[in-house]
Amino acid sequence: MGEIILTMKDIDKTFPGVHALDHVSLDVKKGEVLALMGENGAGKSTLMKVLTGIYKKDSGTITYEGREIEFKNPHEAQEAGIVIVHQELNMIGHLTVAQNIFIGREPLNGGLIDDAKMNRDAKKLFEKLKIEIDPTEKMNLLTVGKQQMCEIAKAISRNAKLIIFDEPSAALTDAEIEQLFTIIRDLREQQLGIIYISHRMDEIKKITDRVTVMRDGCNVGTLITKDCTKDDIINMMIGHVIYAAPKTESHVKPGTPVVLKAEHINAGRMVRDVSFELHKGEILGFSGLMGAGRTETARAIFGADARESGDIYINGEKVKITRPEEAVSAGLSYLSEDRKQFGLALKKSIVENSTLTCLPKFCRRQFIDKKKEKEVTQKYVDMLQLKTPGVDQLVINLSGGNQQKVVIGKWLIGDADILIFDEPTRGIDVGAKEEIYELMNRLADEGKSIIMISSELAEILRMSDRIIVMCEGKITGELDIAEATQAKIMNLATMRN
Amino acid sequence: MKKFKNLKFVRAIGFNRVVLICVIFLLYLLFAVLTPVLHGGASFVKVERIFSAMNYAYFLGFLALGVTFVISTGGIDFSIGPVMFASALISGYCLTQYHAPLWLCLIISLIVGSLFGLLNGYFVAYRFLPSFVTSLASIEIAKGIGSVFTKTQSVTWPTAGSENSWYKNLVRAGNVPTGLILLIIAAVICGIVLNKTKAGRYMLCIGSNKEAVRLSGVNTKKWEMIAYVICGLLAGCAAIFYVGAYTTVQPGLGDNFNNDAIAACVMGGTSMAGGVASILGTVIGTMIMSLMQEGILAMGFTISYQYVISGIIVLIAVTADTLSRKRKV
Amino acid sequence: MEKKKNAAGGSPLARVFKSQEGIAFAATIILFVFFIVASKSFRRYTTIVTLCNYMYYILLMAIGVTFPLITAGVDLSLGTGVVCYSIIGSFIINQMGMPVGVGMLVTILMGVLFGVINGVIIATLELPPFITTLCTMMIVRGLGSILTGGLSGVWPMEGSKGGWCRNILKVKANGKIIPIGIIWMIIILVIMSVILRKTKVGRYIIALGSNKEALRLSGVNVVKWTIVAYSICGLFTGLAAIAYACTFSNITPGTGAGLELDAIGGAIIGGTSMTGGVGSIAGTFLGVLIISLLKTGLPYVGLQANWQQIITGIVLIAAVTIDVLQHRKKTT
Repeated sequence: MGEIILTMKDIDKTFPGVHALDHVSLDVKKGEVLALMGENGAGKSTLMKVLTGIYKKDSGTITYEGREIEFKNPHEAQEAGIVIVHQELNMIGHLTVAQNIFIGREPLNGGLIDDAKMNRDAKKLFEKLKIEIDPTEKMNLLTVGKQQMCEIAKAISRNAKLIIFDEPSAALTDAEIEQLFTIIRDLREQQLGIIYISHRMDEIKKITDRVTVMRDGCNVGTLITKDCTKDDIINMMIGHVIYAAPKTESHVKPGTPVVLKAEHINAGRMVRDVSFELHKGEILGFSGLMGAGRTETARAIFGADARESGDIYINGEKVKITRPEEAVSAGLSYLSEDRKQFGLALKKSIVENSTLTCLPKFCRRQFIDKKKEKEVTQKYVDMLQLKTPGVDQLVINLSGGNQQKVVIGKWLIGDADILIFDEPTRGIDVGAKEEIYELMNRLADEGKSIIMISSELAEILRMSDRIIVMCEGKITGELDIAEATQAKIMNLATMRN
Repeated sequence: MKKFKNLKFVRAIGFNRVVLICVIFLLYLLFAVLTPVLHGGASFVKVERIFSAMNYAYFLGFLALGVTFVISTGGIDFSIGPVMFASALISGYCLTQYHAPLWLCLIISLIVGSLFGLLNGYFVAYRFLPSFVTSLASIEIAKGIGSVFTKTQSVTWPTAGSENSWYKNLVRAGNVPTGLILLIIAAVICGIVLNKTKAGRYMLCIGSNKEAVRLSGVNTKKWEMIAYVICGLLAGCAAIFYVGAYTTVQPGLGDNFNNDAIAACVMGGTSMAGGVASILGTVIGTMIMSLMQEGILAMGFTISYQYVISGIIVLIAVTADTLSRKRKV
Repeated sequence: MEKKKNAAGGSPLARVFKSQEGIAFAATIILFVFFIVASKSFRRYTTIVTLCNYMYYILLMAIGVTFPLITAGVDLSLGTGVVCYSIIGSFIINQMGMPVGVGMLVTILMGVLFGVINGVIIATLELPPFITTLCTMMIVRGLGSILTGGLSGVWPMEGSKGGWCRNILKVKANGKIIPIGIIWMIIILVIMSVILRKTKVGRYIIALGSNKEALRLSGVNVVKWTIVAYSICGLFTGLAAIAYACTFSNITPGTGAGLELDAIGGAIIGGTSMTGGVGSIAGTFLGVLIISLLKTGLPYVGLQANWQQIITGIVLIAAVTIDVLQHRKKTT
């Protein structure tokens, strides 16, 4: 390891409502692999986006190769030698491997693109990296692992000096991961600087030299990989969070009937043989890191996405759910994590959104009883303490937190018995969060059964009677609230099998 | 200006629409003044002018009302002109060649239109075809079917005064503009459907965010298709008012009205992106397009000017809508 | 993302036939054989001439529209453009007394002009392509009549001054008409195929349709290449207008809407997907050939002209339905 190639000092970035980066500093040396770890929302992605010019920092300095820089866009960063290999690859599927690598700088031969030369150059590149890929193959026919290798090759061919890997192994087989590591070791030997973002402890241990941990937008500290343990890292990731009135024991008495049973649900790579039960009046927390498959599981159960196999039982009876319509009639509801895309019709009013799940209830024949609609909506607006000049306000004009309340209200008005909440307090301020927790507890007391998917450990520990942890499509563990701790959950969330 | 915008009646109708109503009066003035100047001696200020413009407005109005439903779901249908003609041809053929009773032929017209709507709606909602592709295909199919059915002959409905010509009273009975009354009734019904019924609510929300509505447990495919059926049904209606005014129908035509109908919609405040629609706006837009056509012809220009203007109107309206959406998000 | 299947299954011959182009090729042969068997009059020499007359302008339009389609867009103003630009050209030649060459140039320039306008509006204002080109179609239709005073178009006939334009596409010899236009078409097909596959123009347009964002992040100016795609389409609309004018005697103003269906349908049948990123000139040619065979062949087996319109519509719906099935992501 040599001199420092990159120093980020006191980087600060605030978005409306969230302080994403709080005076974060970080440095990377030439010829080193630096792991960047942290929970969802810790700020890892944001920091990298600031580095590569996708976001503009509010303050702080970035020094690269001895010069202070600020990139205006990722292309500028690329030209300077800083490249991110994203989780969602930026590949042009319909072109070949070689064409992708040299996109934007194609060699010409007599006015025409010299594909033969590109293929030769790509082949040489792959030989140097000891990867076996046919440069004439169409990109979208390659496995994800191979596509990633191509992105790496592309970065190298652009003389990258600092490569950032964002969750690179998420879609790779074990063999491909080994190949990836071989390449990374080679790159390290060539004195490149590498930032490796991942949550997989075993990989961190294998391939990285140092580990920087982030939490809540801060750099909590940097450890030397070979001198630290998995627990050390986990402790830094979760810190010591103080929360009010955590649940100490489950409110669900033994012998309570099972309202929802999912058996051997399979839906692609993200939902693999998932089986669980939900009891009446229970709040079942689903924990795990991003990409664990919790949302996909919920959507598969709700009929939003196609299911390959598996059965769903409601109150002991098998139900057929292939579309959201059928799920809603069976008494299910699903509050999706991305409210703007999946939860709200932004151009419509609060009333119009709120009654979507059960509009026939407000209709006499075909006509909508608008007075009743307004009254009921107003009732829920008051109950949820939604701040709005009136229920006819267009949803797009509300703040994020209030928008979320509209979505929650929509499902409450629908009066379902089984509520699946996917990140219910995302983007909501602390005060409103309390209101929602109180509401959920009340609903559970009234006999509603709730599945709460959340990436906030504090929330999971506070609300759940029982916790199911998922990792990469599989359920890795189940904890009763009495025995659950942050460390145990994190362990299960990072446990790959 | 702000005070004016906040006046109760302005808020009720919508500032847009008030502006459009003013535009109608201004246009009328413009034509009244320019016609004698440009077209040597001709006068615009005659009752017959109004009736002539209304003849155009009636069937255009029904077309535009139908398209409003489709656009509100975020789709488009520009096959309405040829579909209207197919309906008029087929039902007219039944009348003149098969001697079916007149009332039955009027119903046949509605059915033909609805069938085309069903065709469009099915492929858009259930097969995920882009709506402009189904429109393109429908145009040709409608023209073709119309021609084949009547063996490429044009169809002449009973002329005024002959037996079986009571259908003409739907357009104008003596000096009473019955067409206008029927159009207004239809507009009111459409307005109620769009704004006060379950169907309308679903259609508008689908136009705003189809996926969110689907995930709320609504059968979005069904309601999206119904919007197209309504559009087809109203095109079938429009056919009746077309023959009521112009009596003869020729196969193979109809493209010209599509754009005017769409222009009437978007001008009136219906957004091409879906989710926002105004029946009142569509009606006012129809009046403007009809008045404009009458005026252009009166001033001695050809109908080609109407084409250019309506093309520009839609471009401007859609651009304005797109830009205003971008600002908000 | 799951592992993707490797399509390198089997010999190159097998790969060809699995592709859309291969299927189109097979369909062409089948259709051809069908008509030859089904109708005696089809087997006459004049059929080829009729087929060529029809194919020249449709093929040119189809080659042009392939480019916007590859960017996941479309151009609906083709048919109207063909009629109007040729009428304007006719006006230049007849009413203004210019030589035919000038008329041709003006026709082409009109096409390019509106192609650029379409491209600029779509690329910078980001309006949906179909509504943009729908509007330019109306404007072109109106403009065509306004500029020429509503006259029909007639390009010089054979034997008259400037009549050489007719001989670009056909030549009379021994009482038979020889469709030499085929040679021009082949040349154009080869050139455009090379452009699409081997130049930056084609490469970036394909990349644009495949993943616009990735292309932008690679530093390529996506606005510029979108405009280029629509300009190429406009250029070919102009060329198609010339072919149309030199084939037919009388051009009626206000017609033309509907011609683009055959062009767009042909491109899609030939493998160009509306979702973008996929397309080939060879495929477009085959697709247009299929549609042209249908249109010229069906009358020989007894189907009158208007059935053709219905068939065209059905073929378009079928082609796009299959396209959507192949390329659309699945949801419930």
